[in-house]
Amino acid sequence: MSFGYLLVVAEHESVDYLKLAYGLALSIKNTQREGYDSVALVIDNKQKLSELTSAWVFDHVIEWNQETFWNGRSWMDHLTPFDNTVCLDVDMLFTQDHSHWAEYFIENSELYIANKSYTYRGELITDAYYRRTFVKNNLPDLYSMYTFFKKDSQLARSFFDLGRQIIKNPVQFANVFLAQHKPKVLGTDEAFALAAKILDIEHIVAYPLEFPRIVHMKPMVQNWPWPADAWSDHVGFYLNKYGKLKIGNYEQNDIVHYVEKDKIDDEMINILEEIAWKK
Amino acid sequence: MTIGILMYAHNSQFVDYALMSIISGGLAKKHLAVPASLVTDLSTMEWMQESNILQKANSVFEHIIIVDRPVTDNRRTLCDGKTQAVVPFVNSNRASAYDLTPYNRTLLIDSDYLIFSNRLAEYWNVDQDVLIGQSINDIYVGDRLGYNDRYISETGVKLYWATTVMFTKNNTSKIFFDTVNFVKEHYSYYADLFRFDSRQFRNDIAFSVAKHILDGFKSSAVGTLPPVLTTLDTDVLTSVDHDRLTFLIAAPLSEKYIPTSISNTDIHIMNKQSVIRHADQLMEML
Repeated sequence: MSFGYLLVVAEHESVDYLKLAYGLALSIKNTQREGYDSVALVIDNKQKLSELTSAWVFDHVIEWNQETFWNGRSWMDHLTPFDNTVCLDVDMLFTQDHSHWAEYFIENSELYIANKSYTYRGELITDAYYRRTFVKNNLPDLYSMYTFFKKDSQLARSFFDLGRQIIKNPVQFANVFLAQHKPKVLGTDEAFALAAKILDIEHIVAYPLEFPRIVHMKPMVQNWPWPADAWSDHVGFYLNKYGKLKIGNYEQNDIVHYVEKDKIDDEMINILEEIAWKK
Repeated sequence: MTIGILMYAHNSQFVDYALMSIISGGLAKKHLAVPASLVTDLSTMEWMQESNILQKANSVFEHIIIVDRPVTDNRRTLCDGKTQAVVPFVNSNRASAYDLTPYNRTLLIDSDYLIFSNRLAEYWNVDQDVLIGQSINDIYVGDRLGYNDRYISETGVKLYWATTVMFTKNNTSKIFFDTVNFVKEHYSYYADLFRFDSRQFRNDIAFSVAKHILDGFKSSAVGTLPPVLTTLDTDVLTSVDHDRLTFLIAAPLSEKYIPTSISNTDIHIMNKQSVIRHADQLMEML
């Protein structure tokens, strides 16, 4: 039974998503146990990998261009080469070994979606500033940025099929199911939450667990006393040569979803590469 | 293992911390059934002699430890209900508790923390070398606390309350107090690093930064004492009847006061003058 992380990227006019995926893959290689550190990359243009110094961090590279941008992630069940997969957003970094989370999900779940997140100070995020659609329409508070599924699961297949239908037909689904507050863009989070609600599987795919713990750096939910446009206006982001990440005065030990795409610069990539080479 | 309470009192011309420490130390000694000791300075001792409370101090405290009065230009605004004054604040030597305590396991408390229960006695045998008040709870049913009562700064670390600190005298707690002292001595540097206001030294901040560093630069609920129930200095202690204390609580954004009373409950009373006004009744309980 294979396990691995699936990252989906596509060409974008202003963001180099491959670079973000590369940083994430390096951090996975640097921190996860053998057997729990495989990474598959789905990319619309394989040629771009030649720009990377250590493309070997991607154990599987799948060229696929049927969808644009993040819609591609809704095809994760078709794209993954693994029996057990965690599909991740690419603007994230692993800071320590979380292989035991994967072990748990492989043993106990067919489909599990992150359903809480934390500030950089380790506080549970309760502010619904970015989640009005969820609150107003009573959707489960799902975060597609960490989605575990088994490839042979009928439950997962039904869920992803419906998720794709929702993403393909956002207006129709929003009119019927999200009438209390329609999102400007019906993204993967909303689509997954709505699919879980329609299928009535919230208690199966998002039952209470202490993990996965993901620090979500959306600026307005950091429990600051003032509004913030960008978190980096207020706290620093420091990666030392050992791969230890600090945000502000807090060392990060969970998965960090840093949101601001320019945070992974060449210097950080060099640090992560050096650690990977020495491992 | 010897256990006991330690407190500090350095009088200013505005606040009789010596008198407050006798009240606080006497109540703690009575309700926790352990000895108490006081750290003070010569001028405060002379005041105790002059104001005829030295004898009481000698009966309350097992040891009175004389140290040099800390040199500080710390000042802060202290309210007594609606009136307020900017007063000197001599409190910068609490990191010396490790060296000065005569006990193996010490409960260090502020002199405005009045103990009326044995709740903290549950922590004498807790297997933690250093414990500190995890937060303060406002006695008011709403929430009058500000952001800087919860964090040391807007983006900074959680604020713990050194109103109550318990520690065992060993290497771990020595490292903790050494770190507190280091933060105190390099307060401006840490203020830059942790983004807090350095203009007034606060023990709570120095202790919080030390705990954060030694916890591995993260917040940890390990090593904490219960939240400190608190009345603000805009509140007024109006009567003391045996163990029952009655307060007028200043309603936020209003001129109104709301009466409330508590009994058999430990309480941090920030309005020091209102404690001193009821010193006679409080002393009768010792």
